Amino acid sequence: MAKNRKNQAAAIRFGPALKASFFILLIGGSAVGFVWQKNQIDQLGLQIASREKQVFQYKRDNQKLKIQVSDLQSPVRLDQRVKGLNLGLAPAQPTQVVHLGELAPAAESNGPRQFAQRPAADLTP
Amino acid sequence: MTNKLQISRARLLLFLIGLAFVGLSGWLVYLQVVCHDELAKMALDKTQHKFWQEARRGDILDVHGNILATSVAVKRICANPSMIGNQQAVVARALAPLLQLSEAEVADKLTPHVARNPKGELVTNDLHYARLTKNYVSEETWQRIFATMTNLSFGVNEKLLNRTNRAFFASLRQSAIYAESAQVRNYPNDSLAAQVVGFAAVEETKAEGRITEQIVGRDGIESSMTKPLSGVAGWRLTERDSKQRELVALRNEDVHPRDGLNVVLTIDEAVQHIVETALVDALQKHTPKSITGIVLRPRTGEILAMASLPNFNPNNLNTYSTNSRNRVINDIVEPGSTFKVVVVSGALNNGVVKLTDQFDCEHGRFAFAGRTLHDAEPHGILTTKGIITESSNIGAAKIGIKLGEQGLYDYAWDYGFGQRSGIQLPGEQGGILNPTRKWSKVSIAQIPMGQGVAVTRLQMAMAMAAIANNGWLMRPMLVSQLQERDGGVVQRYTSQRVRQVISEATSRLMIEALKTVVLKGGTAPEAALKNYVVAGKTGTAQKVENGTYAAGKYISSFIGFFPADNPELLISVVMDEPKEGHYGGKVCGPVFRDIAERCASYLNIPPDPTLMTNAVPLVATNGLK
Repeated sequence: MAKNRKNQAAAIRFGPALKASFFILLIGGSAVGFVWQKNQIDQLGLQIASREKQVFQYKRDNQKLKIQVSDLQSPVRLDQRVKGLNLGLAPAQPTQVVHLGELAPAAESNGPRQFAQRPAADLTP
Repeated sequence: MTNKLQISRARLLLFLIGLAFVGLSGWLVYLQVVCHDELAKMALDKTQHKFWQEARRGDILDVHGNILATSVAVKRICANPSMIGNQQAVVARALAPLLQLSEAEVADKLTPHVARNPKGELVTNDLHYARLTKNYVSEETWQRIFATMTNLSFGVNEKLLNRTNRAFFASLRQSAIYAESAQVRNYPNDSLAAQVVGFAAVEETKAEGRITEQIVGRDGIESSMTKPLSGVAGWRLTERDSKQRELVALRNEDVHPRDGLNVVLTIDEAVQHIVETALVDALQKHTPKSITGIVLRPRTGEILAMASLPNFNPNNLNTYSTNSRNRVINDIVEPGSTFKVVVVSGALNNGVVKLTDQFDCEHGRFAFAGRTLHDAEPHGILTTKGIITESSNIGAAKIGIKLGEQGLYDYAWDYGFGQRSGIQLPGEQGGILNPTRKWSKVSIAQIPMGQGVAVTRLQMAMAMAAIANNGWLMRPMLVSQLQERDGGVVQRYTSQRVRQVISEATSRLMIEALKTVVLKGGTAPEAALKNYVVAGKTGTAQKVENGTYAAGKYISSFIGFFPADNPELLISVVMDEPKEGHYGGKVCGPVFRDIAERCASYLNIPPDPTLMTNAVPLVATNGLK
């Protein structure tokens, strides 16, 4: 009886210990998880702030480049540059411009085929 | 006995503890209930910060999206003198070259001063805020200043210092010098279209207990479209850690700013440049007091260019003066002979005259209502068409008399004189067109030749555009659309018809008459184009000074459009007191031709087929089958 009681007592001690360990692990794990999560939130927050700063900077750089492009395309600057380089460039006169009327699309079957439409076999290497 | 004593002691202790708890509870209630609002505010003030996020002012773009005005992010360098201690000299030595100021000047701004105010009270300068520069600096300059401050050495071994002193030097480096973000307006083309674009100034306003700097339009589109350009500021309510880094997770409110809209104009940067260079050449040749030019599309009223010299550079407002105002809409003058188109078209439209009707032009002298009217050159019998061709004052007066006072007034009003055109620019004048009851006996003869009325140059151009546009008067159009920053269209403006002043048939008759002005025998053969048929009218008005006509001072003008039968462009050139000639055709005609030829080439306007017979072939056809 005593032997059995002794054995039973050992079994009883192991059960609560397991439960307690599990409980402690759960609490401890939750606590560590909570801290880790908080830390992650902070880290991600810092990353968000840094990315936002970067986006802001990119927008600002884009704006600078836009102004630069506008400056390079400015007729005033181009005119000054053409005059400065003395290239003898002048705007085309109206008589020097050929106006091409829109041609009606050729019929699919009867119209002459374009080079790009020829089958590959017809093409000479 | 002992047990009793112990129990009584325990009770006493319990009572004291209970009393302490009651006291603490009372204190807690006091703090949490009575002082709640005050303490909550204090706590919030210590942890929460509200950051204002200023909206970026929109750009002003030309019709092709080229930037005419934009905002550039800049920094204003500030200091907190209370954090600098006695290290002003070291900081000043490091920053002076970067701020382009003298060391003494910087050191002075970093030093707290005590002085007496007029009431005799001792006052100090702001111990926590000093602006080191009057002007803004670029982002790059601020980065250099920040790097300089971070690496600044104060000549002491800080490792040997106590904690307080180490913290002092650390905060000096980190926070004593800081930058305030701002934006300034930049005009990449300097003076190009300066009067149209206008300029903006920085204005300090106090709202919700904070001083904010706001860009406010002062002239031109910057002023008239300031509301859509401005946008709405946003804010962020957030907390910071001990290193002054934002705790994003604790953001309470985050309202993004709504940037201002981009205003897209109908102005074409290239056409504007063509007009301004032509005007500069004319300014050098004829040295007038001022010269203006307008290019517009008669069918839509879209203004492609509007220039007035002298002008100013909006990047340097020292160049701005009343002389550089936009005379196209701000000034009113007697139009002179260009106004003849109003009376002749009205008379043709009413059927009181025909183009072939003949008038005796009295050989240059016509006595009417106690006054003698003159022509620049004596003419005998002229047809209605001839009156336009040769710009006869007497002929126009006789047509005016035939049309009648009310008829003349009605047509002038219908053409838009005496009222603002509604262009989206500030300061537009309506001109002077008196009602007939205020007319003198001679008014009916004077007004047809452009005297006794005052008009803006834009009004005159729009009236001529109505003749070119089958009689339809259009509202001048300067803003084409409002865009989001990414290019999405928020609002599109369309051309607006105001009214049909004359019939299509009358408009064709007027164009036939106006075509003869640039022919040999007309008043402006200098305005004829090689590849296009031009229709136009000259004007040479004597200037009015102190209520009388000043001798030798003229307003010369030419307004023309081409191709005459299918008008694409209308160009108006007006000079105030030109030297080296004063007739509109002689001084303004060549400027018109110069602008027209270059604009036609740039805009690729097909040449008039009737004038293409002498065109040189582009490709040699010899030998080709």
